[in-house]
Amino acid sequence: MNPFSYNGGVCVAMKGDKCVAIASDHRLGAGRLTVGTDFPKVFEMGPALYLGLPGLTSDSLTVVNKLKFRVNLYELSENRKIKPHSFKAMLEHFLYEKRFGGYFIAPVIAGLDPDTDEPFVTAMDMLGAGETNEPFAVAGTAEESLLGLCEALWEPNLKPDDLFETISQVILNAVDFDCLAGAGATVHVIEKDKVTTRTIKTRMD
Amino acid sequence: MGDGERYSFSLTTFSPSGKLAQIEYALAAVAAGAPTVGIRAADGVVVATEKKQKNQLFEEDTVVKVESVSKNIGIVYSGMGPDFRLLVKRARKISQEYKLRFQEDIPCVQLVQRVAAVMQEFTQSGGVRPFGVSLLIAAWDNNRPYLFQVDPSGSYFAWKATAMGKNYVNAKTFLEKRFSDDMVIEDAVHTALLTLKESFDGQMTDNNIEVGIATAKDGFRLLTGPEIKDYLKSIQ
Amino acid sequence: MGHFDPYDDNGGTVAAIAGQDYVLIASDSRLSTGSTILSRFTPKIYPLSKVTVFACAGFHGDVLTLVKQLEIRMKLYVHEHGEEMSTKAMMALLLPTLYGRRFFPYYVRPIVAGLDREGRGLVASYDPIGTPEFFDYVIQGSAENLVHPFLNNQIGAKKTLSDVPIQAPPELTLEKAVKLLKDSFLAAAERDVYTGDTVTLMAITAKGTETTEYQLRRD
Repeated sequence: MNPFSYNGGVCVAMKGDKCVAIASDHRLGAGRLTVGTDFPKVFEMGPALYLGLPGLTSDSLTVVNKLKFRVNLYELSENRKIKPHSFKAMLEHFLYEKRFGGYFIAPVIAGLDPDTDEPFVTAMDMLGAGETNEPFAVAGTAEESLLGLCEALWEPNLKPDDLFETISQVILNAVDFDCLAGAGATVHVIEKDKVTTRTIKTRMD
Repeated sequence: MGDGERYSFSLTTFSPSGKLAQIEYALAAVAAGAPTVGIRAADGVVVATEKKQKNQLFEEDTVVKVESVSKNIGIVYSGMGPDFRLLVKRARKISQEYKLRFQEDIPCVQLVQRVAAVMQEFTQSGGVRPFGVSLLIAAWDNNRPYLFQVDPSGSYFAWKATAMGKNYVNAKTFLEKRFSDDMVIEDAVHTALLTLKESFDGQMTDNNIEVGIATAKDGFRLLTGPEIKDYLKSIQ
Repeated sequence: MGHFDPYDDNGGTVAAIAGQDYVLIASDSRLSTGSTILSRFTPKIYPLSKVTVFACAGFHGDVLTLVKQLEIRMKLYVHEHGEEMSTKAMMALLLPTLYGRRFFPYYVRPIVAGLDREGRGLVASYDPIGTPEFFDYVIQGSAENLVHPFLNNQIGAKKTLSDVPIQAPPELTLEKAVKLLKDSFLAAAERDVYTGDTVTLMAITAKGTETTEYQLRRD
């Protein structure tokens, strides 16, 4: 069985006007069996920095913990918060350390630069190869659906409320076409000094 | 422990009075070294050092004492040249490793901490001696100037202005009188050269001193011969 | 000796929307094999009668053969019945045509679209061995996975599988449908390398057929 789709799940992030949003579904599966419906895959790595990790759940949790360890060390030694850009570099480095025998994950990062409030969004593969110049990033078992929806629905300079609506429609309609993802979704909208987290309902089949 | 390996002990051991003689000797080597000054101005940092040759037959311009480590950071020293070159090599490697890992230039404070850690390691490891140098690390970083001194013990300090090497006590007294918080980089270069001049034996030229500055515009760079000449004109 | 390998995938995407009084059918015009572009102007839309069109992605050799077969069946029908085959009849005919090659199928992703006798839009999509699906909109081909959720989002998410409309609601006018399919193909061309160059939109109403064309990415 493909380890990337064994547990199922998706994640999407997109840029807005001085804000970013990141969302994931709630399903946790074991192959075709659904074993959990309260399992978001987005993790807080800092005040305005979130990491989405669809993929093999055991690997996702391991990566989150190991990465949090590195972020904590970084922030203690540098006496400042890590920037999304540096966090991405750190994650790339971390993943490439396991070039042969990597973690079966598809990371998505969303954050605001603490100095400039510039939105930051990126996705990368399991070895840390990513692209930062895209306005949105998708990953998981409904990757193609998410990408098509983002491409059709996203527009530049969305305000926080519109960004929420757009990313919600994207994840909702994408997971409806994917039997390995769904069971609700969590959406974080990140603004300067404020993160709004909402849960949205989706089909439960 | 494998064949042929023996226990190895640190040469830097405490005396009964609590002193580490090797470190004191290293500081003595620094104090006997060429004078170096550093001044942190409002809009930049300057470091300047004496580069007098022992023999007039040396090719003067092949000796370089002020080295850059990254775009924004430079280092100079008082003490033993070969020890300095090893530290420069390590500092450059540290800054490149940082950039590789975080895709960001190393912050000055990080470089100082890491270079200081290297120097500290040489006070506690077996079979090695402490470095016979003190470093001045100058940087433009975080939208402000930085001036750090790192000693053979691994301790480091941030200065507004300082001097090391031969005659450093007088030089520091001189700087205390001359330094002001609102001086700009041109004043700082001027003051640094005046400080060197206090103890300089003979005529200062663009060949027997070296000056490096760190500013927002250029990051860290060495002053060119003509630039140094211009500054020297104004103090003669 | 290489083994017998009679199939290729020439990419491309086709889609259709059935409205209350129109049917809109769209195709990109790229033909490719692997990473090579064979043609930049081969829209995969084939009119079969005044009110029925066929559109098809997949292996172009099979597509052309299938189209020829359907055209012949249409001609024979006209000779026998003195009128063109209805859209519904063509939809019914395609099933056994494809299933007849159950064990050596045409590698095709077909759509039949047209107006019924009352002038309402009808669309159907098929798998390579003839399984039909009748919805208010269909999409087939290389960008299917990218575009399908978007159309579902815009035309109306199905509440249950037993409650599937076969015509889009009256609010979805032809103008809106054109905009929707145009946007769909622009989005598809952005991310699917097998879809691009131009998109041909064919609108059939009681008044007749109107064809328009828009540029897509050419890279």
